[in-house]
Amino acid sequence: MSDRRRRFEAQALPHLDAAYNLARRLTRPPLDADDIVQDAMLRAFRAFETFRGDNMKPWLLSIVRNCHLTAVGQTRYKLEAPLPSDAELNLDDHGLIVDDPDPEVSVIQTQQGRQLGALINRLPQEFREVIVLREMEDMSYRDIAQVTGAPIGTVMSRLARARALLRQTWLGSGQEAPYAVH
Amino acid sequence: MPCIEASRTQEYFDGELDASTAVEVERHLETCADCASLLVDLEATRRLIREQAAYHRADAALRRRVADSLGREDGGGPRPRRWASANWRFLSGAVSGSAATALAAALVVFAALPAPSNLLVGDVMNAHLRSMMSDHLVDVVSSDRHTVKPWFAGHTDVSPPAVDFADQGYKLVGGRADYVDGHRAAVVVYRHGAHVINVFAWTHDDETLPVSASRNGYRFVFWRHGNLNFGAVSDTGPDELLTLVGLVQNASGPA
Repeated sequence: MSDRRRRFEAQALPHLDAAYNLARRLTRPPLDADDIVQDAMLRAFRAFETFRGDNMKPWLLSIVRNCHLTAVGQTRYKLEAPLPSDAELNLDDHGLIVDDPDPEVSVIQTQQGRQLGALINRLPQEFREVIVLREMEDMSYRDIAQVTGAPIGTVMSRLARARALLRQTWLGSGQEAPYAVH
Repeated sequence: MPCIEASRTQEYFDGELDASTAVEVERHLETCADCASLLVDLEATRRLIREQAAYHRADAALRRRVADSLGREDGGGPRPRRWASANWRFLSGAVSGSAATALAAALVVFAALPAPSNLLVGDVMNAHLRSMMSDHLVDVVSSDRHTVKPWFAGHTDVSPPAVDFADQGYKLVGGRADYVDGHRAAVVVYRHGAHVINVFAWTHDDETLPVSASRNGYRFVFWRHGNLNFGAVSDTGPDELLTLVGLVQNASGPA
């Protein structure tokens, strides 16, 4: 193994779960999160010389996001096909995209959890990605801005709207309030 | 019409404010019901997401795909299957036997290790060095196994024993999530005098482990228990490392 690859793997592989989680939250059929992640890791490896600094995570996740956008563009260009049916989209009875239970996840997947996952997946992408990066990856505004290519002020306003939207749809979905109502 | 301080309340919640601004917001929260209620909502939403929404982790197949594609790009073809060729299994019981004999045998064996095992040793050594240099020795600081072991369950794929052996001179410092050979590993961190000992645990996939090794002043002991591979590494003397290995093996119970 070359020294370059060894250095790349030491820095990048610790963020592979984050890359995959983001890809899973971004992709829609027929796109496949595994393909996006593999493509992103390869591109990151090729561009490794251009990486400066010690903060690999936002750099890597921005590549994942770009790979997804590229794949979406190619799909649209190539397909020009009718929209996939509800069944192909993996929709449940309520028109929500079903969030596949993942055997890798150690927590027991509750029905509630699936529904929350589906609500996150229904958010528009610019809201969904800031929720994933802030609440799941615990990233700073600055890092989220780097991943999404948006100014910090935009990150903040999207985050506020995304949180409010998620809270409203959760409460509107008939779930009990996740906190004591005052 | 939301309070004009709503934005700063969110920044406060996200830990983005400097200390003096944070104090200003805290004062504001004491008198503004809107912002106080927003803060409660933000906390509830975060808790909901972190507790309820699935975090999708890369599985072994994807890790292999990525490694293979990097290997092809690197010019070496797909990554060679590690440790598959040599037959070290006959030595696997040696470590728990007489420490001195085992180490003597292992050091002789190491001289003849095939390259793939050297890669594993290099991997563990690099992870150990990273942990020492980057101020990232532990993710969860605790001498309480009831804290460390559950933390592993939420942050790694494996949950090895995390027992404090302070009475025997090996103090449990905490736990860390790390990587060994592309696997997510749980690391139990001990202090022995001035030395740090990292005990790595990761899921094995039928590869064969080296038994022990010594490189650049660091010593390594590997063993298998149940479906886990273990690797202990430190710059302690060989006997001190093997003593801890024996304690951890005893704490693991029957395989």
